[in-house]
Amino acid sequence: MTDSASPKERLLRVLQRRPVDRPPVACLGGMMNAAVVDVMERTGNPLPEAYDDPARLARLARDVARLTGFEDLALPFCMTLEAELLGSRVDPGTIAVEARIAEEAFPSVREVALPKLERIPEASRAARVIQAIALAAAAKPDEPIVGSLTGPVSTAASIVDPITFLKELRKERANSHRVLDAVVGAVGRLAEEMVSAGADVIAVSDPTATGEILGPRAFEEFALRYLNELTDRIHRLGAPVVVHICGDIRPVEHLVARLHARAVSTDAVVSLSHLKASHPGLVTMGNVSTQTLQLGEPERIAGRARQLVEDGVDIIAPACGLGTSTPLTHIRALTDAVREG
Amino acid sequence: MTNTSLQQAVLTELADAVVALDEARAVDAAHEALNESVDPYTAIESGLLVGMSRAGQLFEEQEYFVPELLVASDALYAGLGVLRPHIAADRLDVPGKVVIGVVEGDTHDVGKNLVRIILQTKGFEVHDLGRDVPPSRFVDKAVEVGADVIALSTLMTTTMVNMDETVKLLAKRDLRDRFQVIVGGSPLSKAYADRIGADGYSKDAIGAADLVKRLVQQAPRVAT
Repeated sequence: MTDSASPKERLLRVLQRRPVDRPPVACLGGMMNAAVVDVMERTGNPLPEAYDDPARLARLARDVARLTGFEDLALPFCMTLEAELLGSRVDPGTIAVEARIAEEAFPSVREVALPKLERIPEASRAARVIQAIALAAAAKPDEPIVGSLTGPVSTAASIVDPITFLKELRKERANSHRVLDAVVGAVGRLAEEMVSAGADVIAVSDPTATGEILGPRAFEEFALRYLNELTDRIHRLGAPVVVHICGDIRPVEHLVARLHARAVSTDAVVSLSHLKASHPGLVTMGNVSTQTLQLGEPERIAGRARQLVEDGVDIIAPACGLGTSTPLTHIRALTDAVREG
Repeated sequence: MTNTSLQQAVLTELADAVVALDEARAVDAAHEALNESVDPYTAIESGLLVGMSRAGQLFEEQEYFVPELLVASDALYAGLGVLRPHIAADRLDVPGKVVIGVVEGDTHDVGKNLVRIILQTKGFEVHDLGRDVPPSRFVDKAVEVGADVIALSTLMTTTMVNMDETVKLLAKRDLRDRFQVIVGGSPLSKAYADRIGADGYSKDAIGAADLVKRLVQQAPRVAT
């Protein structure tokens, strides 16, 4: 029976393209995390302090799911773990401002020297996130645990100044490939740890790798290739991968269809019904505008969510990173509309 | 070749070097222009900037993307570096001054940099505050340089609110009427710009430069 599925079974079935009673409503964590100020204030467990303690991180993931109604437990709550492991300096942010890169580790791809990441250093935030995933998994929740990662191009553009990096995709092709290859190694290593700690699904967001920024040639050469290498590596571990692509995908739609991920999540500007019609095999995720979520009327948000369900979108989700001041009532309008129909 | 056709060939080479994304070629062409006694101002206007606007056109047509436009601007600056020292300062006509930056909490500056580059190619004096810029720095800098326009950028929904804060701070300091405020970035819309009381919104970098031009022409700057 499909109608008795737990949220975890439902999401995993969708990712295996098996029938379900209704689409899951989920939020992938990382750049798309739902740890809004409203949740953190209610639970007295704010970021960035929660990053100090795996138990607090696990509790925050559970509280986010419980209060927002999203049907997954997603960790971490930013997209800076990877770059931090690779030497960039991170500003931990505040309750209202997410952690961000303060200073990239290298001025140019020519100077990037990354030792192979054998172990995740124990004192790192990444290590605490992995412990938090293990704690969350030990409680055997009904919800799937999503480990969220930053994609290869975005991670590379977080360890080398992003403007320089984008130029060097043209000027320093060989070094750019060398850096991306090393980055896939490191991010893949983090994914391994997340999966062995108990993550059921791995989400990869690569906001710098958009069709609008890179164009089709560079997207194919640098984004598609390394996203697929990372995805293949994670699939070999047995965890399905969801990839989020930001922005308008029209310049690269034919390439998005070649992603090896089990599902593709897109921004609000993309028509998912059109994407499904052009690529019937694609499992789609998205794409309620985060601006509507933050500023729109709850009725409009619910209407948009119902429309996505009607359009046959496979997983209903916010289209991008949520504003930290998004009211909980607005998020509930989205999740309730999907859960209650 | 006659002297004029030689000079014309140099201008074409300057433009082509930028479109070909070739820094070394732009530098060679700039030296060539000086050797052939091409007026350096003409070499910039009718050579390098013609190339940059062709690159901008290719960007609009989605032949070029962000990496290409960035490398084209490197070629442009390389050529400018050779030619600018040969121009008298009073000949550099500045259509307006812009203070630009990515708002606090956000470090994504690709879009902002594109706007800066395009504004600079159109001759604007641009003061780039970089990324993660608090509202007070925008306001202080705009006052300091006597800016016409304050341009705010963000890529993230999470930090859009800091655009609102900047507009509010201007009002609080009784400076709202002195500066035009424009906003841009992928999560934004015209509706959001209107809602926070910004003077303009553009959905892309090319449009942003046109917007700045329009706003500056509409409201000629009072001498400060």
